[in-house]
Amino acid sequence: MEPVATSGVMTAAARPDAEAEDFDATVRLHWRGVFRFVLASVRDPDAAASLTQDCFLRAYQARERFRGDCAVHTWLMKIAANLVRDHARNRRLQFWNRMRTPVVGMDAASQWIPDWNLSPEARASAKEQLQAVWQATGRLPERQRTVFLLRFVEDMDLLEIAAATGMKEGTVKVHLFRALQSVRDRVRRLE
Amino acid sequence: MNQHLSSQQVSMWMAGERAPEQEQHVRECRQCAAELARFQATLSLFRDSVRRWSDQHDGSEAGSVFEVGPAPSRFRTWPARWAVAAAVLLVVAAVPIYRSTRHSQSGVTMAQADALLLEQVDAEVSRAVPRPMEPLLKLVSWDAASGNGAGDGQSNAGRKENHETTQQH
Repeated sequence: MEPVATSGVMTAAARPDAEAEDFDATVRLHWRGVFRFVLASVRDPDAAASLTQDCFLRAYQARERFRGDCAVHTWLMKIAANLVRDHARNRRLQFWNRMRTPVVGMDAASQWIPDWNLSPEARASAKEQLQAVWQATGRLPERQRTVFLLRFVEDMDLLEIAAATGMKEGTVKVHLFRALQSVRDRVRRLE
Repeated sequence: MNQHLSSQQVSMWMAGERAPEQEQHVRECRQCAAELARFQATLSLFRDSVRRWSDQHDGSEAGSVFEVGPAPSRFRTWPARWAVAAAVLLVVAAVPIYRSTRHSQSGVTMAQADALLLEQVDAEVSRAVPRPMEPLLKLVSWDAASGNGAGDGQSNAGRKENHETTQQH
């Protein structure tokens, strides 16, 4: 899990220079985590980069409203999840996404196999499993996918996910369970 | 608990919902422990794959693509506020001036139109004959100028009348 900035720009001194430097540090600290979550959600590196920029821009604009109720990482993930949701609901984008060939398909996404000194057979099996997980997450409802990615990509616990999504912990657990069922069913077809 | 974990229970386990008897069973059952470990390995594979993929793209471009600018607040500085206030005052002052200018311009236009109308009325009143009879008037004035036409016809008729009177006598 990404390190959490407890004293970020939101608690910075009133001096603008210090505030800007502090926010710059926040960007550097959390950029990768936000980008990773957005990339796994939209599966398009260009769109993910754009949405990540939007996320930090909105965070900067709303920094005075941040009261420190949760960690900065959780707050940023909340903004990112909202942006991903809006991105997915944009009908115009959906139309063009249907019309054009995806920039990065599931095959491309599932080629990033970790260096675990795997044998060729094991690599082929790992690739199949990754494809199955990508396919399953691609078909999940938006909330289930968000919860699944926050839990198993960002390693956030249920309370953090509840804070980031605005859901109750029990609701998060239900969405996570359903997402896991779908992913597991898909992976088990390979066996 | 002697039964193996069902598919739903495996998913519940991974979601964090674990009953004490299930934990006891997993500790004792290699099959269920292997099942859970296999699913956990798949999820770890997915997480590491996503991280590797994102590391290839995000790099260290965060600082270059996101430049922290001044705080986004409209009219945050006093000079900007004064400029906006001055612009509003100018607009407010300009509206009555514009209206009065337009009013005086329309008055001049009305006077010109009235003068033109009066000239037309004078012209109509000063006509010798109505407009439809003007061609006849021209004809008459042409005959008078040339000494022929209606006058000549009259003299011929007079001569003829005189000739008939002479024959009767």
